[in-house]
Amino acid sequence: MARQDALQGSLPLLVLKLLARRGPLHGYGLATQIETMSDDLLRVEEGSLYPALHRLEEDGLIKARWSTTETGRRARMYEITTAGRKQLESDEMRWKAITSAVGKVLKQA
Amino acid sequence: MSFWSRLTNVIRSGRVDRELDTELQFHLESRIEALVAQGVPREEAVRQAGRRFGTPIRWREQSRDVKLLPWLDSLLRDVRFGARALRRNAIVTTAAIASLSLAIGACVAAFSIVDALLLRPLTVRQPSRLVYATFPTGNPERPESDTFNDPTFVRLRDAGRGHVDLFAMSTQVMRPVTFWDGGGQKERVRTQYVSGDAFERLGIIAAAGRLFTAADDTAPGASAVAIVSHAFWQRRFGGDPSIIGRSFELVNERARDVRALQIVGVADARFTGVEPGRPTDVWMPYTMGDRRGFGNYYYNWFRIFGRVRDGVHVEQAQSVLHAAFATIRRERAGRSAPDTSPEAIARFIATPLYLRSAANGPSPLRQQFARPLWILAAIAGLVLIIAGSNVANLFLARTAARERELSLRLSIGASRSRVIQQVLIESALIAVAATLAGLVVAAVAAPMVTTMLATSDDPARLDLHLDWRLSAFSAVLALLVTGLFGLVPALRASGVAPIGALQGQGRSTMRSSALRHFVAIQIAFGLMVLFVGGLLVQSFARLSNVNPGFVSSNLLVLSLETVERVDAERQRAALLEVLPQLRTVAGVQVVSATEFGALGRPWTHVMAIPGTANARLESSVMPIAPRYFEAMQVPIVAGRPFGDADMIPGAGAVIVNQAFATRFFGDVPALGRTLDTRFGNNDGEAPHEIVGVAADTKYDLRRPPAPIIYLPLSERGTSTVLVRAAVPGQTLIPRLREAIPSANPLFRVGNVRTQAPVVGETLLRERLLASLSGFFAAVGLALVAIGLYGVLSYSVVQRTREIGIRVALGSGQLGVVQAMLVGVAIPTVLGIAAGLAGGLYLSRFVRTLLFEVEPMAPWSLLLPFALLALAAMLAAAVPALRAARVDPVVALRHD
Repeated sequence: MARQDALQGSLPLLVLKLLARRGPLHGYGLATQIETMSDDLLRVEEGSLYPALHRLEEDGLIKARWSTTETGRRARMYEITTAGRKQLESDEMRWKAITSAVGKVLKQA
Repeated sequence: MSFWSRLTNVIRSGRVDRELDTELQFHLESRIEALVAQGVPREEAVRQAGRRFGTPIRWREQSRDVKLLPWLDSLLRDVRFGARALRRNAIVTTAAIASLSLAIGACVAAFSIVDALLLRPLTVRQPSRLVYATFPTGNPERPESDTFNDPTFVRLRDAGRGHVDLFAMSTQVMRPVTFWDGGGQKERVRTQYVSGDAFERLGIIAAAGRLFTAADDTAPGASAVAIVSHAFWQRRFGGDPSIIGRSFELVNERARDVRALQIVGVADARFTGVEPGRPTDVWMPYTMGDRRGFGNYYYNWFRIFGRVRDGVHVEQAQSVLHAAFATIRRERAGRSAPDTSPEAIARFIATPLYLRSAANGPSPLRQQFARPLWILAAIAGLVLIIAGSNVANLFLARTAARERELSLRLSIGASRSRVIQQVLIESALIAVAATLAGLVVAAVAAPMVTTMLATSDDPARLDLHLDWRLSAFSAVLALLVTGLFGLVPALRASGVAPIGALQGQGRSTMRSSALRHFVAIQIAFGLMVLFVGGLLVQSFARLSNVNPGFVSSNLLVLSLETVERVDAERQRAALLEVLPQLRTVAGVQVVSATEFGALGRPWTHVMAIPGTANARLESSVMPIAPRYFEAMQVPIVAGRPFGDADMIPGAGAVIVNQAFATRFFGDVPALGRTLDTRFGNNDGEAPHEIVGVAADTKYDLRRPPAPIIYLPLSERGTSTVLVRAAVPGQTLIPRLREAIPSANPLFRVGNVRTQAPVVGETLLRERLLASLSGFFAAVGLALVAIGLYGVLSYSVVQRTREIGIRVALGSGQLGVVQAMLVGVAIPTVLGIAAGLAGGLYLSRFVRTLLFEVEPMAPWSLLLPFALLALAAMLAAAVPALRAARVDPVVALRHD
């Protein structure tokens, strides 16, 4: 559970970052990206990605459209919005500030 | 979840769920395929993918909440919160909804009637291409005529070919008919004669059977068929298809005959006739009309309608028809009396012919009521503004009371738009509730008003069902009310300073100035409604006091029916025998008879008077029995009344009224002069000698007496017996019902009325205006009083501390009251000034409807002012007293 909570807090940040860097992705694509890039460290129940995606969408940070994959299936592609980029910037800064603060404490303790 | 969210989930969730399922399914399948590609057996892959994904239903539910909730949540919360807040102030809320629903109901009712009678196009093919012909008469009482005769119609129709297809539709008349299943009872139905091609030109199809064709026009009297309207078919026969092919009997009172007509079809349900407000029951081919009407240039009995051909301008068609009309008139002019002046002949020939749009049907009812209905609609609109201002005031006061709550919300980060939304939703709740209640009010009120548009003999019937036009109007009204009267309080609420109200110990950040604006608005509009309503009520009162020239109390009007078909001559002789016998009935003073009721519309006759300049004069003609003037208590001013000897056919005596004598003979005595004309088919050629001059009577109380020629009854048929009673008329009715058949079994008493209500019915328009505008004026007055009371009460509560200080500093009770009232004095004065100006402006539109009432008269101006002042004083009294009784000790400890 602890691992999942850690991910849940940072999941929106990861999603925004991936979408900002990799362009439009569907849910499964995002899940595999997170999986490979974080060495399975942050692996959780993959389905929890979807409520997070939909919340970001409702908040206007990402937008979605339906498209057809090479295999001819309908997939929902997500894309970051301008508001999303701004949010990503400030979230990233805050995250870095927190981690460096926590890092300092851990080093000095 | 609440009702609302369930409802919207049902609406939206289907699509949301489907999309979520597709998305999650895609993920699972992609994962399974990836695992299979890595060499994991399919079954195992499915299991692994499922484990890594978690429970799809759980994610779906979570996502669904994310997607649906924000959309609903704020709205739902506001609705709930608003409803709770409104319920807490149940009395105020109920008052607001009640006054608003009354006003909205009045507006919706007014609109539905205005729409049905004035605006809605006829349900025919391309109504915009439909026209009807009129020509100016030179008679100021009836400036344009739209009735034509058969030869003129035939010639115009031929002339217009290629430009406009003309067809004839007679004026509508209530005629007695006997249906096969009615047990011999006569029923009155609204009938219309139409040319055979009328339905085809209108573009009407049959709901059952067939409609008329040109084949029904071959020869007068040849085609004894009839078509019934869909509504009549439903109402009278329950939609029974077997009525087609059956025959009924129709009594034509003018032609004095009874004929059997076979029903051959039912018209389409949407078509109710071409006269809004007077839907047709039965149509007959015009060849079945009075035989005397064919080939006769003097017998005007139908309107000429036309469908303008595609690509032809109405002006083009009009000029073609006008040319033909002028030719006809030139020919006819040669037949006028030898001593007719050349100017009169030139005028006669030059009479233009107009084609008027018949898109929404020519309607005398509309001509009569268009202006009154618009005025009533405007008054209803004013009352709506007053009621709406009350609601706005209510919300302003409530916002003030909730200042702390709103301030707190703003302080903790609620956006101003959320606060505006909150207040707007509350007023929308009130508006929606009031609109729904208003629709109920309208559903009751509109038919009541409709019955006031016509007499019970010839009832008006309007299609008032809730169609899209009415729904749209109500919805727009609700939106306007919310927008106009909800927005000001909402903006005020959002303008509350976030922290100010929390800090200020009872110091209000909101001034009651907005309330005062609404006070001014209410007083202005209230005064306008009172002013106009007052004028109309006064006018009606004056009109009701006009002396009609005869005594209407204790006068019974009996319509007689014959139980079998009899020759007109025999019927008349029998009637003249019955009349003296009725005088023996206890309580009866005088008995007479006439073809029409005393105030009924007599027919008019065109004639020439030898030896005068009157080439063509039009006069009302009224056939009467002996003792008519005695029964009506109309004095004979010169000569003598009719005696029994005058009733012998061909006796040639006539009586005229004073108006006739003065208009056509001037200072020369009319007595002994002759009228050279034929009044009916069985007249001799002998000239008619004027043997008496009767005092004037009015059949239109608004106008000066019209010229009337009284003919002996012998020359026409009759159906109306007049009984002057020595006792109140009602008690005589059963006795007369018995006495008449026993005097002669040929007769039966049909409808019996007392003359007094009949007089009232001629003032339909004035009564409608007076009663409704009077009612609205009273409602408006009450609303203004309530509004003023509310504003003053609120300001007393708001200023309790201030009052306490004033009293503590030695201000007397009078001073306190003064201080309280000074605030509303200025808006009141402004409102009164604006109201009077607006009222005078509005009075321009009612002026033509007023009878002997001057808008600028001191009394007209003073009355509404005094009423409003009285109401305002009453409304201010309670809050002012409360202010005067404020105890400084209690007030300063307050808060």
